[in-house]
Amino acid sequence: MDFARWRFTIPLRLRSLFRRSAVESELEEELRDYLERKTEKGIAGGLSAAEARRAALLDLGGIEQRKEECRDARGLRWLEEFWQDIRYGVRLLRKQPGFSAVVVLALALGLGANTALFSLFNSVLLRALPVRHAEQLVVLSVTDEEDSAATTFSYPMYRELRDKNSVFSSILAQAGAELNATYGEKSEKARGELVSGNYFETLGVQPWLGRLFTPADDRIPGAHPVAVLSYPYWQRRFGGDRSIVGGKLILNGHPVTVIGITPPGFYGTDLAEGTDIRLPMMMTPIFRPLPANRLQNASHQWLEIIARRKSTMSPAQAEAGIDVLYRQVHEKQIRELPARVSDYQKRVARSRHLKLLPGSQGLRHLQEQISHALLILFGITLVILLITCANLANLFLARNAARAQEIAMRLALGATRRRLLRQWLTESLLFALLGGGLGLLLAIWTQSALLHFVPANERMNLGHATLDPSVFVFAFAASLATALLFGIVPALQISRRSLAAQQGDARLAQNEMAPHRFRGALVLLQIALSLPLLIGAGLFLHSLRNLKTIAPGFDESQVVLASLNPALNGYSPERTRALYDEFLGRVRALPGVRSAALAVGVVLSGGWDSITVNVEGYQPREGEDMNPNANTVSPDYFATLRMAIVAGRDFNEHDNLQSGKVGIINQTMARYFFGTQNPIGKKFGTDESAPADIEIVGVVQDAKYVSLREKTQRHFYVPIAQEPRLMDLTLHVRTADARPIAGMLRQTLQEIDPHVPLYDVTTLANQLDDSLAGDRLITWLSTAFGVLATLLATIGLYGVIAFSVTQRTREIGIRMALGAQRWDVLRLVLRQVAWLVLLGAILGTAISLGALRLVASLLYDVRAEDPLAFVGAAVILLTAAALAAFSPVRRATLVNPTVALRYE
Amino acid sequence: MSKPSDLVQGTLDFLLLKILAVESLHGFAIGRRLQQVSKGDLRVSDGSLYPALHKLEQKGWISALWKPTENNRRAKFYALTKLGRKHLTQESEQWDRLSSAIFAVMKLKEA
Repeated sequence: MDFARWRFTIPLRLRSLFRRSAVESELEEELRDYLERKTEKGIAGGLSAAEARRAALLDLGGIEQRKEECRDARGLRWLEEFWQDIRYGVRLLRKQPGFSAVVVLALALGLGANTALFSLFNSVLLRALPVRHAEQLVVLSVTDEEDSAATTFSYPMYRELRDKNSVFSSILAQAGAELNATYGEKSEKARGELVSGNYFETLGVQPWLGRLFTPADDRIPGAHPVAVLSYPYWQRRFGGDRSIVGGKLILNGHPVTVIGITPPGFYGTDLAEGTDIRLPMMMTPIFRPLPANRLQNASHQWLEIIARRKSTMSPAQAEAGIDVLYRQVHEKQIRELPARVSDYQKRVARSRHLKLLPGSQGLRHLQEQISHALLILFGITLVILLITCANLANLFLARNAARAQEIAMRLALGATRRRLLRQWLTESLLFALLGGGLGLLLAIWTQSALLHFVPANERMNLGHATLDPSVFVFAFAASLATALLFGIVPALQISRRSLAAQQGDARLAQNEMAPHRFRGALVLLQIALSLPLLIGAGLFLHSLRNLKTIAPGFDESQVVLASLNPALNGYSPERTRALYDEFLGRVRALPGVRSAALAVGVVLSGGWDSITVNVEGYQPREGEDMNPNANTVSPDYFATLRMAIVAGRDFNEHDNLQSGKVGIINQTMARYFFGTQNPIGKKFGTDESAPADIEIVGVVQDAKYVSLREKTQRHFYVPIAQEPRLMDLTLHVRTADARPIAGMLRQTLQEIDPHVPLYDVTTLANQLDDSLAGDRLITWLSTAFGVLATLLATIGLYGVIAFSVTQRTREIGIRMALGAQRWDVLRLVLRQVAWLVLLGAILGTAISLGALRLVASLLYDVRAEDPLAFVGAAVILLTAAALAAFSPVRRATLVNPTVALRYE
Repeated sequence: MSKPSDLVQGTLDFLLLKILAVESLHGFAIGRRLQQVSKGDLRVSDGSLYPALHKLEQKGWISALWKPTENNRRAKFYALTKLGRKHLTQESEQWDRLSSAIFAVMKLKEA
C-alpha cells in the first residue's frame, strides 16, 4: 500500500528537488494558462481586455501567493528552508570572522579531544579481532578458591577438551616461541607462535598468499617444518617478495619451509602481540625444547586456548558443558600427582573450575592494563565538551542581545517562532560541524602522540588503522549533540523573546532577567565542572612527582642493556657458556666501559620469574606465599647497577658448577625469613622435595623489580655459573658515555659469531622512563584539560560580569547620584561574583569528592582526597575568578553618574 | 483568504477526485465543471483550486500530464490514479454513511 504510493510520490519529490527550475516554470505556465483562459472567457462575456484580466487575477487572489501554496504542497518546504538557513548561516559566519573563529576553535578543541580519545578507546577497547564472527569466540580461563585466575593450560588438557567437548565448533591452542631467524646472511630475532593445526580454521582467516595450516600440518611431533609469516613481517623482512612462499628460512638452526602469508589486518588473538612467524604446535620439541616433555606433561601449563562457540549454544550452556568435561579430566590428573604434593595444594587444585571469557577481542592483556585510565581520560574530555557547550551557550545568548533588532525585524515580517528556532539551531549546527571537522583533523594529527599511552612494545598493531568509520560516525554524532546542547538555550530564548516583542515592549525583550539568571547558572556549572578537573590534575601531578622521587634501589644512569640468545642458534650448553664468557670478557675491555655483567632478568621490564622456595628453619603456614622473585646474574651485576651489598660478598669466579650452590638475597627477604638474625651462612632451596642446598653468601639492598609502584618484594639471586643451561641473557654495561657503546657491542658480537643477533638494545634510563610513560601522559593530559577548563570558565565568568555591569550602569548611576560610595558599588558587583564562584566551588568540591574516587587506583602514594590538590585547585580557581572580575568591577566603580543617567 | 467558507475542508478533495474519475481535465476546466455540477451552489475560489490539485498530486491520488489543447496551446491535464480511485471508493462509502446518519437525525427532529 505504502509502496504503491511511493511509486508516485518519490519521483515527484525528487523531481521538485533536483529539477527545481523545470517544476517552477511548469507551475508558472499552468497558472498563466488559467489566467489566459479566464481572461478570454471574460472578454467573451463582454468585458474589456484589461477588466477581464483584472477580474481573473482577483479571482486567483495573487499569483505569488498561489505559487507559495503549491510549493507547500510538495512537502519539501523544510528542506528548502534548511538550505536557506545554511546559506544565511554561512553569510553570518563570514561577516563576523572573529566571533566565528573563537567558536569554531573552542569546538574544535572540545570535539577534537573527544574524538582523539574515542579513536584510541575504540581501537583498544571496542574493536573486535579482525576474524570471522569474532563475537562467537571465547577465551578459556580457570579460577580456583583463592580466586587466582589463569588462562594457561597443558597440552594434554587441550587435547582432551578438543576431542571430547560438544559445545564448541572448533577450539585452538597457541603459545609464544622465541626465534632466531636466518635468511641469506642476515640473522635477527623474530617473534614466533606455536599454533594448533586448526588455528586458522577456528578464526576463519584466509591466506593472503600460499596456504595456511590445516590439522594435517600438526600430526607428528617434530615432523612438520613449515611456517606461516605475518604480513607486516613479510613486508619488513622480505620487502613483500612473493617468491619467499615455498622458500626456506633457518629458525633456531632448523630449516623451515614458508607455506603462506596471513592477510594484512590479521594480528592473531592478542592486540599487544606482533607475531612474525607461526609454526605448527607439533614443532614444540624443536622450538621450545625445554622442558623436554612439554606435549605430554599435564603439569606444564603454557597454552592459551580460544574456542568458537557453536551458534546453537548460549554462553552459559557452553560454560556449563565445558566445565563438566574440564573437572573430569582435571580430577584424573590430580589423582596422578606425586605424593609430595600437599593436601592443601590438592584441595586448591580441586576447587578449580573453567570459565569462558568473552573472546571477541581475543586475549585482553593490554585492554585490562589500560582500560581504566582510558575511561577516565575519555570521561575528562566529555566534561571538557560539556564546559565548552555551557560557554558557547553563554556566548550565543550574549550575541542574541546584539541581534535583537534583526530578530524584531524578522518577527515583524511574519517569521514564525518555529522558523526562527530552526534557523538558530541550523546556525549552531553549522558551527558544530565546522568545529567537529577541525576536531577530527586535530584527532588525526594527535593520534601518534596519544599512542604513547600504550606501552612501547605493545602498540605495534595500533600504529595505523586507529581511524575507522566508527570514529567518523562518533565525530559527527558528537557534533550534532553539541550543536543541540549549546544551541537550544539561545534558540529557546529567541522564541520567548518573540513573545515580548509581539507585545511591543522592546525594553522587556532586552532586559529580560530570566536569560541573565540562566547565564549565571551556566557559569556556575562551568566552575563546578572545572574544579574536579583541576583537582584531578593536581592529584596526578602529585602522584607523578611521588613516582619520580621513588628510589628504585639501583642507579639507572649510563647503563646500556642488550640481549642475546645463542642457544636459539643451536649452540650446545657448553658452547653457549663459552660465548657468553668470551663476549663479557671482550666487552669489559672496551674503552669507556666501567663494569659489565650478564643477567637473566632486567629490572622494570614488566615481568619476573617467581620461584617456590623452602627455607632452612622456617615452617610456612598452609597456603603461605613462598614464591620470591629470582634472578640469575654474573659477578659484578650489583656493581654495574650500583646496588649496595650490605652484608657478605658478591658472586665470584670460584662459584661454579663444581663448587657448592650459593645465593644472595635482598634485605626484604632477609627480614622476612630470618628477622634480626644474620642470614649469612643460612640455606634455602628451590626443590621442595630436597633439603635446602643454596648457601646465602650475601645480602643486597632492596630495589624495585617489576614496577616502580610495587611494594618491595622478596628477591634472591643465584650465579649464572651455577645454572646448568643458559638461554637468553641481557648484558648490562656501565659506561662513561652511553651513546657510542651500542655500535661497539654489535661489532664485538659480530666478531665472535655473525649469526647471533643482538636485540632490545636500550638504556636502563630509557627503561625506567618507559615504565612511567602512561603516568606521564595521563598527568600531562589531565593538566592540559584542567587548565583549558579553568580558562573556559574564567572567560565565561568575565562575560557574565561584564554584561551585567553594562546592564546595571544606569542603576549604579542612580545609586551613586543618591550618595552611594565607590565601596558600596564594589560590594554590589562583587557580591554577584562571590556568589557564583562560591556556589560553583561548593558544587565542584562535592562533585570532586564523589568522582575522584575513580582515579584513586591510578595514583601513587596520594589519596583521592589529597588536601594539597583541593586547596591548590581552589586557589587557582579563585585567582582566575578575581582576574576575570577585575576589569568589569573596576569599570563599575568608575561609573560617572551624570553620564550614566544620560545614557538611555 | 482563499479558503471557501462554505466548503468543508476535505470536501474539496473529494469533489475534485469525483470529477476526475469521469475524465481527465486541466485546471481551468476542472473549475468550470465544479460550478456546473453543483449548479453554482458550491462556490470554490479559483485560488484554492491549484494548491488543492498539487496536494492531491503529491499524495499520489492524481497524476498530471502535459497535453496539447486547441489552438496550439498545451495544458496540464490531471487524471485519477489507481490509488486515487481506491481512495475515492473509501471516501464515498464514508460519505454515504455520514450523510445517511445526518439524514436520519434530521428526520428524528421533525417527528
